[in-house]
Amino acid sequence: MPDGLGALLHDAAVLHRFVDFIEEYCKEQERSQTYIDASGLFFRYVEALASGIKQELTKEITRASRFPKRLEAVRRNMLTLKYFLRLLHELIKPAADAHTLTIPAPLIDLASQQLQRVDGMKNAQIVILLAPEFMYFQRPHSEIKVEARFVASFIPNALFPPKLGFIELPYSQGPNFFTNLAIYHEIGHFVYEELSHSNPRNCHITDVESSTMRCLKRALNKEATKDPESYAFAKKIIESWTQEIFCDLFAIRLVGPAFSFALIEMLGMLGFSKKETIRFSSSHPSSACRFAEHLNMLRTDSWWEAIADIKADQKAILENLAGIPRTSYALYLDDNDLGLHSLVTEFLDIVVPAIRNLVRNITPSPRPAVNRFKKARSNIENCLWCGVVPYATTNPPDPVSIINAAFCFYLTSLPAVIDRFEGTEAARKIETHSLWTKRLEMWTMKSVEDSQIQERLKDVGDKYKNDS
Amino acid sequence: MTPMDFQDRAQYLSLALFSQKVVSALMEYVDENKGKELESSLAEALDSLVHSGRSPASSQKVAAFSSYEQLRTLEEVWSNKDRLKAIRMIRKVMSAPKDPKTKALANELIELFSELQNQALWNFEQPKPVSQKVMTRLCQMA
Repeated sequence: MPDGLGALLHDAAVLHRFVDFIEEYCKEQERSQTYIDASGLFFRYVEALASGIKQELTKEITRASRFPKRLEAVRRNMLTLKYFLRLLHELIKPAADAHTLTIPAPLIDLASQQLQRVDGMKNAQIVILLAPEFMYFQRPHSEIKVEARFVASFIPNALFPPKLGFIELPYSQGPNFFTNLAIYHEIGHFVYEELSHSNPRNCHITDVESSTMRCLKRALNKEATKDPESYAFAKKIIESWTQEIFCDLFAIRLVGPAFSFALIEMLGMLGFSKKETIRFSSSHPSSACRFAEHLNMLRTDSWWEAIADIKADQKAILENLAGIPRTSYALYLDDNDLGLHSLVTEFLDIVVPAIRNLVRNITPSPRPAVNRFKKARSNIENCLWCGVVPYATTNPPDPVSIINAAFCFYLTSLPAVIDRFEGTEAARKIETHSLWTKRLEMWTMKSVEDSQIQERLKDVGDKYKNDS
Repeated sequence: MTPMDFQDRAQYLSLALFSQKVVSALMEYVDENKGKELESSLAEALDSLVHSGRSPASSQKVAAFSSYEQLRTLEEVWSNKDRLKAIRMIRKVMSAPKDPKTKALANELIELFSELQNQALWNFEQPKPVSQKVMTRLCQMA
């Protein structure tokens, strides 16, 4: 046996055990739990990959035996495959934890249907991950796809499912409804990544990319433009801001002002200090800038006028933040150092209009949803006021109307409902508020589920009529 | 929001896999006289390397060296001279794969891309913050 081959065999055996475990783990999860379709696709990819890596290990050991001078290269190749599996390892357990009993399945179902109606996203699917962090994330999937493409050149049977996205929910928020509206923003990241790699290219995303180049050209001096590393970092900053604004506007187009309220509820716990609200970081635009864009989109789409009579603190917060003048926005690259301000101003002047245009062009017009909301709102609120799941025997309310009416009701009328059902004394108890929030969310979720079932029934009926 | 370290680490791993693809194709060529993957792998590498030295404002899609993490890794292991040398060697291997002298160049390329793969794996294992040079440059311009 050549020198070092014994040690290589040892390492290969360790990797083989790891791969074997992952393969069996995915199979076991699929046997014992029920998952949404996308999770099944992901598990089957991992199984095919694991099986292929085991074959590849045998090939690599043969190579090292025949050509001992390649021993180090073979070891590196094995390590690279191990690291790819390590990256997937981070997704497998959270995906396994997200079976249908632990996630807000009706909301995920609705969001998936809406996603597939977005231009360029037909047949897209979302894998839900239940994560230990108390944050909502979209796992960037385009890099995994790039890696999977490289890996497929060694393991041709492992083809990554097309248009598969990964959204993380904090495991504690799985059963909730209103805060989980944050997934629409995360779905936006998925859409943006897909559009960025679409073939043929979406012309509106090309416009955003060209505007990014123009923005960088105007914001950076010649010295920075010539340095590839500085330029790449500045470009990364603009691309991060672009995605954040895109995702917010995308979420608003799909689900209306309920998304803005959900975001305010989440950020509100941190408090909106002056410094933080105007601060652009290398990864995020300032809250003030984001909410200014929210308000602009809600006004243009007529949502703002549709909720004009709602008196909720969240609305006032949104208006206040949106009203902060853009001249006070500041870029901080670390805690104290102010970064290049022209990056912010050129971004706002050149890139943001292109983002708005992109969002408007790939999402359906919200006007019909706004009109349906106006018509359905009082019926939905009456049902919630009576403590029942919102329903209608004819023309059931659509999910976006239900979500927005229920969220507005939650923000303005919950104390009165508690008072009505539990009495004034109980209305002062935290536990009672918590319980009634949970009830309201459950009724909303059930109503959304019912509405989707009715919609499917209608589709089947229409198809039957057309066929006969 | 996206978990940044996952994304950054994925960039390093992409570079490691890209290098592995090139190294594997070159090893098959040198050791086993097989050239099935050689041309496509080297063409991707050449395209990416040529692009890495051009004006960064270009938006052309290439297989590697278009992100901050990948450019940084490249700068860590290869000097500008190495980059130009690699471009020259790739062109020679592609133009005369049957010439026996070409295999010596291919072996040199294996060394170069192995170094790159190694550094990318290190950076995946221990990602580094944005370099001080870049931070200073962008702050000084404020």
